[in-house]
Amino acid sequence: MTVMLYALSTCPYCRLTKKYLDENDVEYDVIDVDLLEGDERTAVLADVKNLSGGTSFPVLVVGEEVIVGFNKAAMKEHLGL
Amino acid sequence: MSAAQGRPVRRRFSADTTIDDLKAYMEPFAGSLGYKFNTEEWFVDEVLASEIGILDATGDVYCPCRMRTGNPKEDVAIVCPCIPFHNVQFAAMRKCWCGLFILNDVEDGADLLGVIEEPEKGAEVEVPVCRVEDMPAGSVRHVKVGKRDIALARVGDEFYALSNVCLHAFGPLSGGVLDGHTVVCPWHGWRYDVRTGTTDHPGADVKTYPVVVRDGLVLVVTTV
Repeated sequence: MTVMLYALSTCPYCRLTKKYLDENDVEYDVIDVDLLEGDERTAVLADVKNLSGGTSFPVLVVGEEVIVGFNKAAMKEHLGL
Repeated sequence: MSAAQGRPVRRRFSADTTIDDLKAYMEPFAGSLGYKFNTEEWFVDEVLASEIGILDATGDVYCPCRMRTGNPKEDVAIVCPCIPFHNVQFAAMRKCWCGLFILNDVEDGADLLGVIEEPEKGAEVEVPVCRVEDMPAGSVRHVKVGKRDIALARVGDEFYALSNVCLHAFGPLSGGVLDGHTVVCPWHGWRYDVRTGTTDHPGADVKTYPVVVRDGLVLVVTTV
């Protein structure tokens, strides 16, 4: 199962999410969207909008599931922790 | 935004702005809208530290949890405190998006941390719009409740909310004067009863909204 985290480098909930995933030894890819530039940022932001319906962070994609916000209960459930 | 893009940075804060400076600056705005800083002080400091980083990079204090588009007209809606732009949604969530601010009557802000849930469509919500002391008796003012433009009137100690738009020529009722329980449109003098939204002109009544006064705040009742 692939785990993908869309985050902002400035966002406290994104940091909490990274910490939570690290503490639970979850392997994941992460993109800090605000650190991207130009076309790449536009493209990734469009992906985030498609996935979550907005541009609020963090957006965690676990397989088919999309979790918006730092939501421990949802992460536990979908990551099988 | 660089000068090359035709719009100079309007820098409201000095380069050595501290967390305490931001707290002192934001508290009165949030307070007048019925919000206070989260009771979790570590979290407040964390969010404001992020905002100072954003301030250094952009010249303003944008919400650290949402992405700027680069379009000033859109991005103004996420300048902190962004409560006026999202007051219906936040009143339903009982906090601002990131949880930096919580409604005055939330005792423990820790309960709301991390929870980002869109409020249910159609749910009734009481939206704080101003403090009682902000409006003298006999006055009427414009308030924004979500996307709705509302004229808020105070007659004696009672508050009334009705659509701000006169149905004659779409004049702003909040710019009119109060005559007892009647607001007189400033454009052509159409008269509306602030209690009922009714006017003498058939078919031209305007919508009214219930108002609650609690803990010194005026709250307009609407739906998400």
